[in-house]
Amino acid sequence: MRVNPYPMPDLLAALNQSEFEAQDAALQISTGKSVNVPSDNPTAAALLVENNDQATFNSGFLSDLTTINGQLSAADSTLSSVQTALQQALSLGVEAGNGTLSSSDQGAIVAQLQDIQSQVLSLANTSYQGNYLFSGTVIGTAPYSVDGNDPSGVKYNGNDDVNQVSVGSGYQLAINQPGSQLFSATGNSVFQALNDLITAVGSNTSVDTAVTELDSAADYLSVQTVFYGNALDQVQSQTTYLDAAKLQIAQQQTSLGAADLSSAATELSSAQTDTQAALEAISKFSGNSLFNYLS
Amino acid sequence: MSGLFGTLSIALSGLGVSQQELATSANNVANANTTGYSREVVDTAAGSPIQIGSLLVGTGVVMQKIESLRDPILEIQLNQATQQQSDLNAQLSQLQQLQTQFASSSSGIGADISNFFNSLQQLSPNPSSLELRQSVLTSASTLAQDLNTAAGSLSTQQSNLNLTVEQSVGEVNSLTSEIAGVDQQISTLENANEDASTLVDQQTNLIRQLSGLIDVQVVQTGNGGIDLSTSNGTALVTGIQSSVLTTEAGSDGNAHIFASGQDITSSLTGGSLAGTLQVRDQEIPSVLSQLDQLAAGFSNAVNAANAKGFDLNGKAGGNIFSTPPAGTTGAAANMTVAITDPSLIAASSDGTAGSNGNLANLSAVATENVASGQTPINFYSNLVFQVGNTTSNVSADVDASTSILQQLQDQRGSISGVSLDEEASNIVQYQTAYQASARVITTIDAMLADAVNLGIETAVQ
Repeated sequence: MRVNPYPMPDLLAALNQSEFEAQDAALQISTGKSVNVPSDNPTAAALLVENNDQATFNSGFLSDLTTINGQLSAADSTLSSVQTALQQALSLGVEAGNGTLSSSDQGAIVAQLQDIQSQVLSLANTSYQGNYLFSGTVIGTAPYSVDGNDPSGVKYNGNDDVNQVSVGSGYQLAINQPGSQLFSATGNSVFQALNDLITAVGSNTSVDTAVTELDSAADYLSVQTVFYGNALDQVQSQTTYLDAAKLQIAQQQTSLGAADLSSAATELSSAQTDTQAALEAISKFSGNSLFNYLS
Repeated sequence: MSGLFGTLSIALSGLGVSQQELATSANNVANANTTGYSREVVDTAAGSPIQIGSLLVGTGVVMQKIESLRDPILEIQLNQATQQQSDLNAQLSQLQQLQTQFASSSSGIGADISNFFNSLQQLSPNPSSLELRQSVLTSASTLAQDLNTAAGSLSTQQSNLNLTVEQSVGEVNSLTSEIAGVDQQISTLENANEDASTLVDQQTNLIRQLSGLIDVQVVQTGNGGIDLSTSNGTALVTGIQSSVLTTEAGSDGNAHIFASGQDITSSLTGGSLAGTLQVRDQEIPSVLSQLDQLAAGFSNAVNAANAKGFDLNGKAGGNIFSTPPAGTTGAAANMTVAITDPSLIAASSDGTAGSNGNLANLSAVATENVASGQTPINFYSNLVFQVGNTTSNVSADVDASTSILQQLQDQRGSISGVSLDEEASNIVQYQTAYQASARVITTIDAMLADAVNLGIETAVQ
């Protein structure tokens, strides 16, 4: 059978192929990626888009949790201070109610109670990073203002709205409690109780009743405050969960799209060997025919 | 004295034939690297014997013809393989360009979509923050710009292909005209019963080049004549007359190919023209249409969600993105962010500045079916898969068809290729035969001198 006497195109094609493989392996090594264009691995390329989306959402949730943590902590510590102040007011009230104080001493206690009332008002109007913590969603307006016409001595200027923030897929966390639920709930108003105690001590009537009222309001506040402790706990555990998920997502990205450097290096080396061999074969091939041997 | 003179003419015929054989070998060697050359061999036969008495005596050697060795079936197969490979190659180079728009998963349209929803997410605990609102507008803008860029690049690629089509049609016309000219020459030679091998090689080569451009079929019409047409029947060369193809802008703004007033653009099935048209008229429009669907669906969904809430000034939300065109064509190229004031993002569900209630609606767009029943990210990742898969399949097809073409070319080489070794050994043979015939003549010359001088020794000059 007669052989094709012009094998050069085939040899060149083989050379071209091994050079192409060398380039491809080198690209993987230099970019660190096995999928540099979608046709390298169409399925992986599509999954990498989804993976990137998951990673972005994950880091977004983690970032929000940090923000929320700051907001919740600020509110929680403010409420601690309020509780301390209320306890002070209670002991003052008990002292005033034991009936052994002079009227000037009564006067002194009233003054201290009024200080505490201002302090609680100020604490209730705390803002964090420019926004009022306890006015619901009317964050630009201080929740409480002094109102002489109101029996509680204050007027609530906020609303009852609670904001929810998504901190995971399908996982919503409420991030605030409005003042109307904490300090001025109907029948359990801290402000009403404080005002009543001041009136009672000042007129030395029904101090015990007023102390009981304040005690009950303080307890109520304490129960409402649990919201913040719970929320902070949830922030903590969700952060832990998302940190672990972050690792998984990163691992998936690696398995989908990272170049296997050692096997790419092997491919590169073997493609280079093939290229060298092809070059040598071609160089030996050219130029030899019977004509060289006929004198 | 017919004996000696007869022998002389026999030896002479040997000289003549050896010379021609040598010339043929020399021609093969000279054309060893000529593209499409088919090696020639000399067909010789013994001359018809004559009867002398009861003996049949030979009359030397006669040259019958110089034959070009080629396989016509192989040529047809090579044409088809060339058409296939050129078609696929043209597609591949365009698709590789196209897919660079979708190359990165950490940047590009997909990442922009993710970042947009992330910016809404960051706004959620602090819905009144102007800085965070601005981030939402910035990420919306990046998404719109990247969609503009992708659509723009595809449109540019498409219009560049119009130039390619026009150029290719020009080349087709110049080749068919050349082929018609060669046909004319071949027909003249064949009618004069002369050897047209070299011209046939040239014709074959031209048809092969034409196969690289368009799907051409060859019909033999007898007497060495051929007709060329596309596989759909459009005439390219009829006898010695070539038909001219023209290009005109069609209703889609692209260059369409016409033959005698008929639009043949969608009927081409091979050659680089078919591949170019496939990408220009099928692949690119498909991707563009999907980008448009994504842009339109996304914009509409975000705008609808914004309209459900209230902005920082307590007013009902308006459009965040520009309204897409009805019918969605051009949605991706023209998508912009319609607002520059960050307070207009309708985060609030009740008009208060600190409410984030409507952000849930805006964020929900990420899991809504905005295009072809898919969420934005799913739609985009499917598009990436589609582009990658098409390109990868065409690439594999190119490898396969290139391999087939190479094999056919090897086969052709084994039949028609010039082997220098073979020609060298032939030349040695022909030289020896020539020397032998010359030697015979010298001998006869001496014998004739003897005969003439009848026994008296004379020197022969």
